[in-house]
Amino acid sequence: MFFLSLIEHTLRLPPHLLKLPLDEAIKGELEALFLDKVIPNLGLCISIYDIGDIKDGFIYPGDGASTYTVQFRLIMFRPFVGEIIVGKLKSSDANGLNLSVGFFDDIHIPVHLLPNPSSLTLDPENKHEGIWTWEFQDEQYPIDGKDEIRFRVHSISYPPIPIEQEKEAKPFAPMVITGSLDYDGLGPISWWV
Amino acid sequence: MKIVQANAGALTNFEVLDFLRSRGASTDPTRVIAPVAPSEFKVYDYLVQSAVCNQTRESINEFLKRCEKYDLANAEKLNIINIRPSSLVEIDPIIEECEKRMKSEDVEELVEMVVQVLPEHPASVGIERGTDVDKISPDQELMEAN
Repeated sequence: MFFLSLIEHTLRLPPHLLKLPLDEAIKGELEALFLDKVIPNLGLCISIYDIGDIKDGFIYPGDGASTYTVQFRLIMFRPFVGEIIVGKLKSSDANGLNLSVGFFDDIHIPVHLLPNPSSLTLDPENKHEGIWTWEFQDEQYPIDGKDEIRFRVHSISYPPIPIEQEKEAKPFAPMVITGSLDYDGLGPISWWV
Repeated sequence: MKIVQANAGALTNFEVLDFLRSRGASTDPTRVIAPVAPSEFKVYDYLVQSAVCNQTRESINEFLKRCEKYDLANAEKLNIINIRPSSLVEIDPIIEECEKRMKSEDVEELVEMVVQVLPEHPASVGIERGTDVDKISPDQELMEAN
């Protein structure tokens, strides 16, 4: 689920941080810049693992701040295809399920990757939501969000940043994980215990 | 920003949990003072209530030593350490082409070994942790402003 990535970045250190020791100031700046942000094809940055090399404390003419070239390692959240992850149900509607792992919410299980055959019982109050139920050997197994759901990662996509968005559209998701429940042992844990 | 090495090594969930713990993350109310960001706390909360919260380095090393004879891919070993399957049906999606590569006695032996070596998943701690983290963020900002 987690990988280390080695990144090199030219960091401008604002002058008001000059009183702090160098690595603390650099760490603080890197955290503000990278933490909880998605880097395309690398994943979601969870944390700064360590700082390797700090060189080139350069001051550009006309600027009061010093610029450093820093090499550091980040812990990235990037599951590989085929990995099994446990998550919680966030919402379920006619397009499939939405799961969340607490720190990452955009996990989508589309309808064609749900266990086969499944059927949707729409919620009488809210036409957009419903509960998916798996029919297996004449038994009904509903996915009702009471316990955690195990899914396998099918693919990860990084949609490009949209130039314009309609007002009512969902907030833009820079990283979307598509999962599948279509195998033995996947789905809510209570199905297999 | 330049990506020198996109993949400098895979980390098991236990290693990330250990790293966050060494920075000072914990589940009790002293977390407001720790130098750990709220988003890192969300990761910590997720890991603490998954199967890895009781693991130790020795148990993982022991597991890796003993699973050499099954010829598993690195991705499969990583999955097993992170999920800790305790039955045949749980280990089936993890190992690719399970029936072709290993006989059913081997798979059973592997499951037994996992249950023996890796510590068990304790009863789930509950979802209240999530609400604690949300309440803490405004307090952290207040503390930094002071």
